[in-house]
Amino acid sequence: MTSSSRFRVPLVLITCLLLHTTVLADIRIRDVMPDLMLLVAVAAGITGGPDRGARIGFASGMALDLFLSGPLGLSALVFTLVGYGMGAAHTGVLRPSWYLRSLAAMLGSAAGVVLYAIAGTMLGEPLVSLRLVPVVVIVALANAVMAPVVVRVVGWSLAGDVPDRLTGSIRV
Amino acid sequence: MAVYRRSGRHRFVLVLLVLTSITAITLDFRDGGEGALETLRTGGREAFAPIQGAAEGLFSPVGNFFGGVFRYRQVQDDNARLRAEVDQARQESVRAVDAERERELLTRLANLDFVPDLRDIPARVVANAPSNFQRTVTLDRGSKADVAVGMPVVTNAGLVGRVVDVSEQRSTVLLVTDPSSRIGVRLVGSRDIGALTGAGPRDLMPLDLINIDTTVSEGEAVVSSGLDQGILPAQIPVGKVRSARVPEGALAQEVLIEPFVDFRRLELVRILVWTPTPAP
Repeated sequence: MTSSSRFRVPLVLITCLLLHTTVLADIRIRDVMPDLMLLVAVAAGITGGPDRGARIGFASGMALDLFLSGPLGLSALVFTLVGYGMGAAHTGVLRPSWYLRSLAAMLGSAAGVVLYAIAGTMLGEPLVSLRLVPVVVIVALANAVMAPVVVRVVGWSLAGDVPDRLTGSIRV
Repeated sequence: MAVYRRSGRHRFVLVLLVLTSITAITLDFRDGGEGALETLRTGGREAFAPIQGAAEGLFSPVGNFFGGVFRYRQVQDDNARLRAEVDQARQESVRAVDAERERELLTRLANLDFVPDLRDIPARVVANAPSNFQRTVTLDRGSKADVAVGMPVVTNAGLVGRVVDVSEQRSTVLLVTDPSSRIGVRLVGSRDIGALTGAGPRDLMPLDLINIDTTVSEGEAVVSSGLDQGILPAQIPVGKVRSARVPEGALAQEVLIEPFVDFRRLELVRILVWTPTPAP
C-alpha cells in the first residue's frame, strides 16, 4: 500500500460505514436495504485484485460487524471471501466497462448475501428462509446501480497501489 | 513460476484473514458477549456514535426522501388509513364514555394491568439495524441511564423487544419479529401457554405449542406469560390472533399472531427496569 492509499482507504471505509449505518439503513425496498459495505468488498476485488479484495473485504466486514448484534467476524469472513473471489474472477480483465462492473457487482453481491445466510445458519442464526430470495434480488440490483460510483471511489482509494492484474507475474 | 509465487502470497493472505475471522467468531461465541471482543465492539460503537449522530441528522432528509419514494404506495395507504381513522375517531368520541367503561371492564377481566409497578426509562429510536437479516433498533439510552441487557422494551401498544447490547450512551433492542426471538406467551381467553417466534418484518409470527383442544378465536389478545425463566414480566400485550387452524394429524394448532406494535413507525419507546431471573 502506498502512503496515499493508506490514508484514502480508511477514509472511504469510514464514509461508507457512515452511509451504510445511517442513510442506507432507512432506504428500504420491501424492508431490504442496499449493502454498501459488501459492495465495497466487491469493488475492491474488481479494482485491486484478489489480495486487496480480501484485505478491504475483511476491513469492511469487521467494521460492519461492530454495528451488528450477530457473531463478530461473520461479515468479515464472508466479505473477505467475496473480495478475494471477485478479484480472482477479474484477474486478466484490463479495463472492464461500466456495465461489466455493474454485472460483476450484482453477481458478487448476490453471492455475498447467500454466503452470509448460509454461514449464519451454520452458526445457529436462522437466516435461510423464503425471505432470502427478495433479499438477494434487491441487494444485487441496488448494488448494481451503485456499483459505477462505488467502484470508482474504491479505485481512487487504491490509486498508486498497482492492481494485481496489471502487475501480473512481473511484480513478485 | 512467478505466477505461482504471486498466487501463493494471495492465498496466504486469504487464509490468514479467514483464520482471523473464524478466531473472532469463536471467541465471540465463547465469551457470550462479555469478553474482550465485546469491549472492542462496544468501544467502537461508542467512539463512532457522535459521528453517526451527526451524520444521521445530516442525511436523514435524504433517507426520508428516498424512503418516501420507495414506500410511496405505503404512504398512500397510510394516508387513506389515517383519514378513515379520523372519521372513525369522530364517531367514537360520541360513545367515548361507554367505551371507556367497557375497556376498564375488559382490562379487569383479562387482568391486563401492563406491568404498572415497574419503573421505565423513556428512549428514542435513533437507528435501524444496518442489516437485512437482523431486526434490531438502536436507542439513545445506555448504561449511563441504568439500561441493562435483558430489559424489556415497550410502547403504549405493547411489547417491542428486549435489550441485547448496552454501551454507555446507546442500547440495542432485539425486536420480537427477529427470527431468532422466541418468547413465552399466554392466550388471554383460554390462558393456554405457547412459544412465539419472530418471522421477519412482513410475516405473521407463528405461535407454537397450542393444544388442539384449545378454543382460539380470531382477534384474541396474546400477552407475555412471564414463565419463560423470567425473561419477560407477565402481562405485556404482544399481539392478537390472526388465524388458527388444526392441520390434519398435527399435535398442536397452527396459530399466527399479528403484533400490536407497528414496527415501521417506532420512534419513542419505554425501557422497563426489569432484571430477568437467571435460569437455575
